[in-house]
Amino acid sequence: MANTNIKDLENKSKWLRKTCFEMLLSVKQGHPGSILSQIEILVSLYYGGIIKFFKNEPFHPEKDKIIISKGHAAMGLYPIFADIGYFGKKEIENFGKSDCILKLFGNISIPGIDCTSGSLGHGLGVGCGFALSAKRKNTKNKTFIVLSEGEMYEGSIWESALFASHNSLDNLIVILDRNRNIILGDTEDCLALEPIKDKWMSFGFHVETVDGHSIVDLIDTFNNLDKIKNKSKIIIANTTKGKGISFMENKPNWHYWNPLSEDLIKKARSELSTNE
Amino acid sequence: MSNFQRDVFINEIYDYAKENRNVFFISADFGAPALDKFRKNLPNQFIHSGISEQHMIDMAAGLALDGNHVYVYAMAPFISLRCLEQIKCSLAMMNLPVTILAVGVGLGYADAGPTHYLNEDISIMNSIVNLDISSPSDAISTRFIAEQTIKVPKLRYIRMERNNLENVYSSNFSFNKNGFEKIHQGENICILSYGYMLHKVLEAHERLSRENIKISVYDVISMKPLSSELIKDISKYEKIITVEEQTLNGGFGSLIINALSISGISSKKFKCLGLKEEYYFQNGGREFLLEESGLSSESIYNTIKNI
Repeated sequence: MANTNIKDLENKSKWLRKTCFEMLLSVKQGHPGSILSQIEILVSLYYGGIIKFFKNEPFHPEKDKIIISKGHAAMGLYPIFADIGYFGKKEIENFGKSDCILKLFGNISIPGIDCTSGSLGHGLGVGCGFALSAKRKNTKNKTFIVLSEGEMYEGSIWESALFASHNSLDNLIVILDRNRNIILGDTEDCLALEPIKDKWMSFGFHVETVDGHSIVDLIDTFNNLDKIKNKSKIIIANTTKGKGISFMENKPNWHYWNPLSEDLIKKARSELSTNE
Repeated sequence: MSNFQRDVFINEIYDYAKENRNVFFISADFGAPALDKFRKNLPNQFIHSGISEQHMIDMAAGLALDGNHVYVYAMAPFISLRCLEQIKCSLAMMNLPVTILAVGVGLGYADAGPTHYLNEDISIMNSIVNLDISSPSDAISTRFIAEQTIKVPKLRYIRMERNNLENVYSSNFSFNKNGFEKIHQGENICILSYGYMLHKVLEAHERLSRENIKISVYDVISMKPLSSELIKDISKYEKIITVEEQTLNGGFGSLIINALSISGISSKKFKCLGLKEEYYFQNGGREFLLEESGLSSESIYNTIKNI
């Protein structure tokens, strides 16, 4: 395991949240709600020894795959990728400038991004392709997919869920970022998704439910998944949309960026450096 | 051996796949005798996606991103329009080497009704960036296209005929690389078609020949990219006729007119023949519906006589 010191990982989460906020602020657009809810998930994967990667080698054939299926949140990976040497740290500083290689949405021209995403509901299907390819070639690569619960409304997700289950793709690990909010409000008020656990179980997935902001719970759960054979896996990570910035938390209107006063910028920075 | 386009194509891919473990063939529950052999002998390279065309395309993207050469196969309307966004977002935006095999284009499934017709796919698929489009007119040109997909893997949409078609080409025919063939040489009139409708055009041509009326006939196998050589070639004619089993909005005829226009050629006389702007629910079968639409060989003959 690369790093099991929980305090270090919590500091990494603070760093990632703060970096993402500054990137969003620099371009005054993007999707803070969804980016901030998944922070501990990404930190656990990359710094908690869960996902296999090779520093400075974004195209290493033995690395695990990752798809941020909710493509509007893919930029949460950029600071991590710069940190592990997939590209230069100046790209983060230059975010939004015309010569910067990073875009608001992830695409495969960016080292480390394994699949272009943006439109909802495609990531699980592409992930099935990755996972099946690994199975048929007897390689150990795993595929991790960060799915928004909003994608559960797309029918293609359930086509892919059927397939993953039938083909016993146990190298496919889905993390459902269950932050409850879609653009017009709480999913259960707009069009109910619950019982989410039962739905995935009935499709043959091994399902775990965790506090998606608890690094300890996330890493423990990820580690235990290795024991589960012949089943695709999904972790329902209960999260808070906009986590870490009080005026964004659970506010559907912070799905997308809004203009910020100097006072609110100061408040956000202060919360990000002192919270947790 | 079967002369059906689907069997000819799959047999080529079967031979290729035997030698190359990175070749995958996915079917959304659509069959063929040649596919039975593939499934039996190469089970590790065959995938049944379920009747889930959208998933099939997304999964093909994942396989292709992992370095595989992928073929996806289903009934034509469902592997095109039903999963259009998957084709755009997962295949075209990443420009992946996946071959989309669509069987039963045009009114091939006439008795099933408009859900099973594919009367608009040229217009729609032509607008997808990075996607090449081919329409073979017989088994020999199908085999040629299959070979091309093996030699030059890229994103392609192959429109195949449901029924068995007579061969237009001899088995050792050498196709030119421009994606079109001039089958007959005429004088003032040229007629362009593809696939099933090319055979109707050839019937009309035969009757005209007997009357000593000489027209040129082109088989446009590749409609995207459309050969600039073809446009140069047909610009010499006074009259240009296109014949297709599609509605005309954005169809093959409009591609030709557009290409001529871009080349600065606008003074020609055009006639585009195609399906009417309606969904056919009548019984009577494909030939009856083509006749209703003015697309029988008799109608084509009359059009040429009167132009």
